[in-house]
Amino acid sequence: MANMSRRDMLKMSMIGAGTLALSSVNANAKEAKDVKFDEEWDVVVVGSGFAGLSAGVTAAKKGNKVLIIEKMGRVGGNSVINGGVFGVWGNDFQEKEGIKDSKELYIKDILKAGGGLNHPELVETLADRVRDAYQLTKDCGAKYIMLKLHGGHSVPRGALAESDSGAGIIRPMSKFFQDIDGCELRRKCKLDHIITDESGKVIGVEVRDEYQFDKDAQNDDKENTSGTTKFIKAKKGVVLASGGFSRDKHFRKAQDPRIADDLDSTNHPGATAGVLLEALKVGAEPVQVSWIQSLPLSSPDEKGYGVSSAFTHESFRFGIIVSPKTGKRYGNELANRKIQADYEFKSKNEDGVYLLSMCDSKAAAEMLPEKLEKVQKVGIVKKFDSLEDIAKEYNMPLDEFKKTVANYNQYVKDEKDPEFGKNLSKDITKGYDFSVAPFYVSRVIPKVHHTMGGVNITPKAEVISADTNKPIPGLYAAGEITGGVHGAVRLGSMAIADCLTFGMIAGENF
Amino acid sequence: MKKRIIFLIFVIGGVFGLVASLGVYYGLELTSDERFCVVCHEMDPMVIAYNDDVHSGKGKTGVRARCVDCHLPHDNIINYIYAKARNGVVEGYIHFFEDVENINWHENRARRKDFVFDDGCLHCHTNVFDNALLTDKAKKMHAHYKKLLNTKDEIGCASCHVEVGHMGLNNMLNYWDPKYPIYEDKAYEKKEELRRNYFKDSYVPSVKKSSKKDTNSSDENSSK
Amino acid sequence: MKTDKLILIFMSCMLIFTFSISNDNNTTQVEITKEMEQKYPIKAHHSQIGLSCFDCHENQGNDPFKFKNIGDKGCISCHGDKKRVAKRLQYMDMLKANPHNSVHDGPTLYCDECHYEHKKSTNMCLECHEHEVPRWMGVTP
Repeated sequence: MANMSRRDMLKMSMIGAGTLALSSVNANAKEAKDVKFDEEWDVVVVGSGFAGLSAGVTAAKKGNKVLIIEKMGRVGGNSVINGGVFGVWGNDFQEKEGIKDSKELYIKDILKAGGGLNHPELVETLADRVRDAYQLTKDCGAKYIMLKLHGGHSVPRGALAESDSGAGIIRPMSKFFQDIDGCELRRKCKLDHIITDESGKVIGVEVRDEYQFDKDAQNDDKENTSGTTKFIKAKKGVVLASGGFSRDKHFRKAQDPRIADDLDSTNHPGATAGVLLEALKVGAEPVQVSWIQSLPLSSPDEKGYGVSSAFTHESFRFGIIVSPKTGKRYGNELANRKIQADYEFKSKNEDGVYLLSMCDSKAAAEMLPEKLEKVQKVGIVKKFDSLEDIAKEYNMPLDEFKKTVANYNQYVKDEKDPEFGKNLSKDITKGYDFSVAPFYVSRVIPKVHHTMGGVNITPKAEVISADTNKPIPGLYAAGEITGGVHGAVRLGSMAIADCLTFGMIAGENF
Repeated sequence: MKKRIIFLIFVIGGVFGLVASLGVYYGLELTSDERFCVVCHEMDPMVIAYNDDVHSGKGKTGVRARCVDCHLPHDNIINYIYAKARNGVVEGYIHFFEDVENINWHENRARRKDFVFDDGCLHCHTNVFDNALLTDKAKKMHAHYKKLLNTKDEIGCASCHVEVGHMGLNNMLNYWDPKYPIYEDKAYEKKEELRRNYFKDSYVPSVKKSSKKDTNSSDENSSK
Repeated sequence: MKTDKLILIFMSCMLIFTFSISNDNNTTQVEITKEMEQKYPIKAHHSQIGLSCFDCHENQGNDPFKFKNIGDKGCISCHGDKKRVAKRLQYMDMLKANPHNSVHDGPTLYCDECHYEHKKSTNMCLECHEHEVPRWMGVTP
């Protein structure tokens, strides 16, 4: 007993407290009385992705001493491997291309996909402030190169960041942040506990420095004992911006038992539920945690996020998704991610085939040539000279397939899809049908991608307590660890918007 | 009379010797830098990398090391001249009779220790063992080098200083002879750009080699 | 007077003795056993230049089983800085495939994100670029 470390003591006391005082959510929280702080900062931000950097930069710009902690060795979590498309209404590219967009239409699209589960005040706030967040990234040095359309949006409104990846935003922002005097971005530093005082106010964090994430662990949060414990005081507050839990096999399955352990994810290995669980221990109110999105743009022919989405974004927009079993279209290619993922899963599980997403060479020309070359070289997209060749390769009934293509081409001409209601207006299709060889084809399968639920926040990014239904003093959250913005379905390009906007708003509190 | 003859022999011998040694001296001198060596020796990437390295004299001091300063033994003049003559013949033969398009630069570079003579390095870098300005690690590693001298584990300067004298050599070799076929197109462009900059007026486009391996096949992947 | 001298001689002896001991501590290296070599093999390119445990694990005592990770600082003490190792693979920038200067991270990654000394190295790029990596580069050294 005499040899027990502080950690063990804490664990023991937590177990004790948990059993003794089940009624009190706060019982598990680390209280300030017995803590001697090793460091003192104005603001501590947990996570270095879009939300964390946005909060960090904003708070630092206001003169605060900000520490961003990141448990992984690399900066930016999922943000730095993300596709880099930022959904912002009224952006400069829309202006250039003469595309009419508005705050109202933006809100309408988000709510429609959200299926009535969105917290309206958060959506309203997002729409109000997303343009400021766009500007913030530009002020930090981010550059955007072209306009993209993702499924579920009425108009193209996605600004694609330089280098075709979220890295085009993360790298300039993390440099900007680290160049600010008195601020630090500390990698390999993991949050273990959130520290509160007697009143329940969050006053700091217990972390482990020199943490070494273990990719091979079944559950890193539970098994990993690396690093040295430190107590860090946060004078003005703590911002949780640690992302979602798509790679947390236990927790994601607990929320949605359909998610098998071996279902691949587009996320980086560190996307676990650890910080979310710590937030719950200090009384944060969970919302919609079981709404987990799988990305329908993925390929079964590569691991992780891969490169498939570069192709499938265009092929969904300009092409068709066909079942090789029947040769028929399977659904609305521009439906939201939930609907698409559901029918891709259905085809795989019930018909035993991967659906085929395909487009013709007019559509393929919309992709950067090196991207088109890349997806072929890595073997996830195949090129065919005729419909016959496609049918042969995938054992598809040729006549039915030919009929499907002829129908679709007629729908494009009519700008109306009577079968599945795909939006075929000229703005979307640019008049491209499926007719000019060569054709490009990719197999598609969903991968666990985004966890819509998380902690409940106010429009000022304050974390709401389940005990009091009021903000927990000193605790803020932004991005994928929060819930309520997207409701049932997050539209493509809206993660960047959500994370950056609420990160910025969180930072404005200090 | 006899004395005269002896004297004459001395004089003639002296003059002859002087002329000969001058000849040898200038001969050796004129044939010691990259402008001479490159005539026969296949070494465009090395020369171009060298010209971007401090050893080409582009540094602050302007001190320049010539090919022979590092790449020929300096223990005695006989060895030196023999190695030089031998290299000349071998390289000339390779240049005229062998398949110079398909030299495996990467394999050769792995044997860099055999092409670099440490006495050459140490001739200029005289204080590597006692220079107080070196980092602790460098001091320690140079002591390590000294300790291994004349043992079976002996290492050379180039064992660690892998691109010494030719900074960026790994890149150059991959422009000339890409290790991975996927770089072939871009590497060829880069190679020609570098050659154009180096050879200026005398630049002649090189023939693009056909791909060693089929980059489009997915064999690598299906074999996994 | 005599005793003074004696003391002096005694002290000198002691001094020399202490020095020789401390010297011993610095230079005497623990014999590297087969067991250690098997448990902690080192990379071929490191053993080729005759490096041993103590060249990397400096000032970490004499017990190899208690050695700690030397971190980036240790690697960098020989390999130059991260920009320099990125430059050595600059040709890979032609296809934006330089693992030391990637589109995502630039020259900022920790060495041990991919490179391990005592076990097989990995390649983080593989997490997303499964099919591309074997075309871009060789096996991580």
